[in-house]
Amino acid sequence: MALLEVKNLGISFGGLRAVDDFNLEIRKGQLYGLIGPNGAGKTTVFNMLTGVYKPTDGKIVLDGMDITGKSNIEINKSGIARTFQNIRLFSGLSVLDNVKVGLHNQKEYTYSALTGILRLPGYFRAEKEMDARALEILKVFELDAEADCLASNLPYGKQRKLEIARALATNPKLLLLDEPAAGMNPNETQELMDTISFVRDEFHMTILLIEHDMKLVAGICEKLTVLNFGQVLAYGDTSEVLKNPEVITAYLGE
Amino acid sequence: MRHMKNLNKTTKDNLITYGMVIAAYIIVEILLKAGVISSLLQGLLVPLCVYVVLAISLNLVVGISGELSLGHAGFMCVGAFAGAFFSNSVKDVITAGEVRIFLALLVGAAAAAVFGLLIGIPVLRLRGDYLAIVTLAFGEIIKNVVNVFYVGIDGSGLHISMKDKASMGLAADGNVIINGPQGITGTPKDSTFTIGILLILVTLFVVLNLINSRDGRAIKSIRDNRIAAESVGLNITKYKLMAFAVSASLAGAAGVLYAHNLASLQASKFSFNTSILVLVFVVLGGIGNIRGSIIAAVVLTLLPELLRALNDYRMLIYAVVLIAMMLFTSSPAGMAFRERFSLKRLRERTNEKEEAQ
Repeated sequence: MALLEVKNLGISFGGLRAVDDFNLEIRKGQLYGLIGPNGAGKTTVFNMLTGVYKPTDGKIVLDGMDITGKSNIEINKSGIARTFQNIRLFSGLSVLDNVKVGLHNQKEYTYSALTGILRLPGYFRAEKEMDARALEILKVFELDAEADCLASNLPYGKQRKLEIARALATNPKLLLLDEPAAGMNPNETQELMDTISFVRDEFHMTILLIEHDMKLVAGICEKLTVLNFGQVLAYGDTSEVLKNPEVITAYLGE
Repeated sequence: MRHMKNLNKTTKDNLITYGMVIAAYIIVEILLKAGVISSLLQGLLVPLCVYVVLAISLNLVVGISGELSLGHAGFMCVGAFAGAFFSNSVKDVITAGEVRIFLALLVGAAAAAVFGLLIGIPVLRLRGDYLAIVTLAFGEIIKNVVNVFYVGIDGSGLHISMKDKASMGLAADGNVIINGPQGITGTPKDSTFTIGILLILVTLFVVLNLINSRDGRAIKSIRDNRIAAESVGLNITKYKLMAFAVSASLAGAAGVLYAHNLASLQASKFSFNTSILVLVFVVLGGIGNIRGSIIAAVVLTLLPELLRALNDYRMLIYAVVLIAMMLFTSSPAGMAFRERFSLKRLRERTNEKEEAQ
């Protein structure tokens, strides 16, 4: 059964049909790519999947549960986490605290505000476990050495990684990455590709990513969907989609 | 373990803040015993504590939660009147001043917290300038409502009116407690410097522990990036409201302390100017910097009094000090200067030199 099933999803902003009749099926453990020219509606799809926008029509089913029209907070709790095209970190917090905010809603680390203010034993236990778990996640991204740094002081590539780490900390079933390689140099992109594959294997994660870097897309995505003017142009196995003449004309270029 | 070091650094920082307050208390007590402090300054000790508590609590909203609130005096007003009303009602029953003011502080803090929640729910839907304007308005509304409040007690119970004293229908043996614009008179003078310092320590304890807990992290992350905070499943309204209500209740407690230091209390004392004054403490002490708020509140409360001898030049110098503090805490040059000459940096430099040798 598919982990994420999107049927006939569409959204209109006034008279503008931004996304129309969008269908998507992602199986558990898949690394799925969403590509297309600028303005095709890729990020709009992400925003609908994560509850930032309410779809005008269509249905989103995550792991058998209908999540259409739910708020972004509820959707995160049901198991979708994301990163952003323009990095959105908690810049005034340390790297470690950024990940700990990601752990915020997990039952085993929860304690009441009163426990925190009065420093009851539950506070120390939960904080210690949170520290350990957050460091474990940071280690995957080789960020553990910078745990105390302010997030805003990290170099660009590491900020991107930290955003992924924070999203993973919410323990999602599906991870959405919005142009993870944007602004990275070839070395950093290569490293990021390894990290993404590693995350998929290590956390048994299902990943849907938007990307313009065709090397990254061809290198790690198993399946692709191509959007153009808000509509699905092609979908299927990566190698086939990339050979599709329509995709080449609309997006890739000769 | 690096993060353990980090944890200890925060704890150490907080301990320094507590230590500072306690040291100041000890020094003042010694000076009082020695009889060096003028009666003018003695009269300032409790107001100092009031302003410090106000500054710390406002910093929770402005610095930690990142919302500009201009109605802090309103919550102080609620606390002051609730606390003073309580003490006036029970002053014949509870005669021990310490017990009475302790209970009054709880009453005032609870009343202000309720108002914080009630006002916070609609107001925190707004952001930025709009939020500031609406909090300002609510602060004024509270002040003006309390200003026309008449409450009295007689044999048949409580009488409340918002028109005038006569329309309360009080029996001849009745006792007017809140008398409209004339406010409350005869509140027992239970506030002492020691109680003030204890209130500062409690405020610090609540605010610092809240900041460095799970909920505090959530509050700060919403300040830093609201959209990202939503994307990791944080309930924005809940945490904004939490910071707002805790801050309001602490301001209420400060109001109680203030009320029990005055023979008569009027609502007009809690004007917009008071809110701005507290905001000035917070901004000049460094937004989000709790220790800075304390220092700024003390310096800027003492300064006009200490400069009294200079008569006409008093407010001129006060203004110059404000500007100097602003430059020192917030301008890039001031920050670079502090960076270069901070104790930590000096220590590091000595270490480097030692290592080089």
